[in-house]
Amino acid sequence: MSLKNFSELFLDLDSSNSTNNKIEVLKNYFLSNDPIDNSWAIYLLTGKSNKRFINGRYLKNLFSQIYEYPEWLIDTCYLKVGDSAEVITLLLKNKSTTRKKKLSNISLNELLSKTIPELSKLNEEDKNLQIKNIWETLPEDNHLIFNKILTGTFRVGVSIGLITKSISKLINIDEEIISHRLMGNFEPSIDSYEFLINKNINLQELDSKPFPFLLANTIEDKIFKHSINDFQFEWKYDGIRMQLIKRSGYFSLWTRGQELVNESFPELVEKMSNIKDDFVLDGELLVWNFKEQIAFDFSLLQKRINRKSPTRAIQIKYPIIFIAYDLLEINGKDIREIKLENRRIELEKYFSKWQNKTENNFSDIFKICDLIFPKDWPDALIYKEKSRENNTEGLIIKKKTSIYSSGRKKGIWWKYKVDPMQLDAVLIYAKSGSGRRAGLYTDYSFALWKDKELIKFASAYSGLTNIEIKELDKWIRKNTIEKFGPVRSLKPEMVFEISFEKIQISKRHKSGIAVRFPRITKWRKDKKINDADSLENAYELMKKIS
Amino acid sequence: MLRDAVLRTKQEYLIRYKDGNLYCELGDIWIDPSKPVKRALITHAHFDHFTFGCEEYLSTIETAILLKERVGDNIKIKTFDYGEEFKINGINISFHPSGHILGSSQIRFIFAEEKWLISGDFKLQKDETCKQYEILKTDYLISECTFGLPIFKWDETNKIANDISKWITNSPEKTSLLFCYSLGKAQRLLNEISKTNFKGNIYSHGSIYKINNCYKELGIDIKDTIKIDTKKKIDEHKGSLILLPPSLSKGSYLKNFKNIQTAFASGWMSIRALRKRSGYDKGFAISDHADWDGILEVVKKSEAKNVFFHHGDSEALSKFLVEKESINVLLFDKEI
Repeated sequence: MSLKNFSELFLDLDSSNSTNNKIEVLKNYFLSNDPIDNSWAIYLLTGKSNKRFINGRYLKNLFSQIYEYPEWLIDTCYLKVGDSAEVITLLLKNKSTTRKKKLSNISLNELLSKTIPELSKLNEEDKNLQIKNIWETLPEDNHLIFNKILTGTFRVGVSIGLITKSISKLINIDEEIISHRLMGNFEPSIDSYEFLINKNINLQELDSKPFPFLLANTIEDKIFKHSINDFQFEWKYDGIRMQLIKRSGYFSLWTRGQELVNESFPELVEKMSNIKDDFVLDGELLVWNFKEQIAFDFSLLQKRINRKSPTRAIQIKYPIIFIAYDLLEINGKDIREIKLENRRIELEKYFSKWQNKTENNFSDIFKICDLIFPKDWPDALIYKEKSRENNTEGLIIKKKTSIYSSGRKKGIWWKYKVDPMQLDAVLIYAKSGSGRRAGLYTDYSFALWKDKELIKFASAYSGLTNIEIKELDKWIRKNTIEKFGPVRSLKPEMVFEISFEKIQISKRHKSGIAVRFPRITKWRKDKKINDADSLENAYELMKKIS
Repeated sequence: MLRDAVLRTKQEYLIRYKDGNLYCELGDIWIDPSKPVKRALITHAHFDHFTFGCEEYLSTIETAILLKERVGDNIKIKTFDYGEEFKINGINISFHPSGHILGSSQIRFIFAEEKWLISGDFKLQKDETCKQYEILKTDYLISECTFGLPIFKWDETNKIANDISKWITNSPEKTSLLFCYSLGKAQRLLNEISKTNFKGNIYSHGSIYKINNCYKELGIDIKDTIKIDTKKKIDEHKGSLILLPPSLSKGSYLKNFKNIQTAFASGWMSIRALRKRSGYDKGFAISDHADWDGILEVVKKSEAKNVFFHHGDSEALSKFLVEKESINVLLFDKEI
């Protein structure tokens, strides 16, 4: 089976807006290709591989070197295209000098298990030569796939859900099972594909794999018509959602992004391993302020996330806690089909059982989440407004009678987030976007007044409609003061309402403040730049909260 | 690029930019003006090159016929054959094929032994529905550069036509709506698609249908299509191709059809981001403008010592010609 089939699959998926169509296209691909290629296809499409063999800059330089193209010209092209792999693909058109296409029958498996891994073992000179060779002997249709895999930028509008659906259709097995089989690590092989499409369902095989996570929806008005007693209330922590799994004595810690992170949090693994029972817990990992018993800011957690084998000092400086809010499996028994209120009883029962064993001294690293008991909906609102004080984002509301299904199912869990903070700021810089937004000015920087000067305080990308983006893009092109590469400084004229979740002191920024999740919530065409907020307003906002 | 400080002041150029249009003061001639003027030379019959209200229009015969078909008979047009020279205030002027659409032309000005050539919209790719671009030598070249970046390299037209054919026949249950400009692109596509394996029905929107007829009257062989009738209910369009102008792609018109797939035929569709943003299911990168190599070829073969660009972002192209080809690229001062 040739790589060509996969290139066609990519184009078909890319050029379809219909879910049913995509499922059909995927199903047909799986039917007509080898298990090993299918396995690689799933690996790529689900984004399990984002390994970058070389970066975009390297690719551009290499092309520039080989074909004597000025780098500035490639950079200009990039601004229009927004993806290095695609720029090079477009520039490579008609470049293949060799007539014999010896790579025309290469399979996806061969490319990914042999050609590319071998490439990364070569020294720079040989590597460059080999890439040139591949470019010139690989049929043009496959250049984009090759360049994208090489630069670790292979992405296509296919969710893991679509893959799940298409395999489920292919073999007539429930989506939940396929979804579970796809969790966690997926090593491309004939076996892993055969396992995926195996018609015999055997829980043992799912071993260390986490369950598909259940996600909360945004609050809906209709919920307020129901009795407050139908729901369980928890704080919405701003940490990393995780499943803590102990099965057959083996311990694994999975993020919602399906990464196994045992190595990053060894202190948790060590303490929890003492528990005799097997279990699957759903919860949140946080850096915890033990003195005040509240979470530290997410920025501290970031110091831990990407660090494997943290030193003792780091562990002390950024102390973590796992707050469990659900028990999904106990001693090999899947209890997700039990009602939430009963799962909570089980969770509390086992927690106190574990706590009472003296060898389990985990109080400094593991607890179960506290419940909140508002007496009516207005009371819930008051709790929500208080959430900033304990560094949470609001409330999570869960239906007591619900079972633990998967994904963003409606009518089960809701997030009731505290209203964002807002400032009116002046647009001062714009940068052209990448990917789908290439060639449009979509990355904006905003400023606040300090005396008579505008000081940059935040950058935001999201919040405008496509029509607004186009309108603003036009305005930007007409009102540029200066261009620095992809960035333009702009006439201060446009005012936007910027919303954000957190505000804190930052020495890194000229403004002295940093905000979290800034986004545009309104284009204030009604405001002149003198109506925009000042840095002083921002400091006041900060004081009010702390 | 302005470092070769231009020896003459801008006003002394035979042709310059005025109010965003090309203008020759000596003959009081405007080329494709965007506002009413006394005398307008029209390179081709696309609406963005035409405005109502000029006292007099000059164009090729085909352009005149197409224009009258589109805007009515109430305009005064003087027509010329390709290559036929005429004089205005001592300037020798002639129209030459530009390969963009039927009747499209480059315009040459010769005055005091100095040659100026306005490329008009042009392409070098083969197109059986219009005359091939004529290579002309000139001293000054004013060229369009709509696709003035090396990422734009057109595939052979028959490859695109085959892709379109495959796109339709792979979804026999669907109605395939292909959006394209009604004048030029639609006829070229019809001509090419008729050579592919797709043998189903082709429908065209009224605006396209009438231009097809016009092309036929002018001796161009265009495949017969059925004029679309939205009153018919619509199952019978299953498996066939329908050509529509891009203006109908948004809004309620599409409700006339069931189970559709949409595509847009345009040079911009070679870029994935633009393809995705366009909202069409599929994009076919086919253009009636020159690609990067095409522009370079015309610039070089014209042997022009001085080149101006308009229509498009010419920064990179200019810099490339100055640095790599040592060709003098001048900038129009758009403020004049």
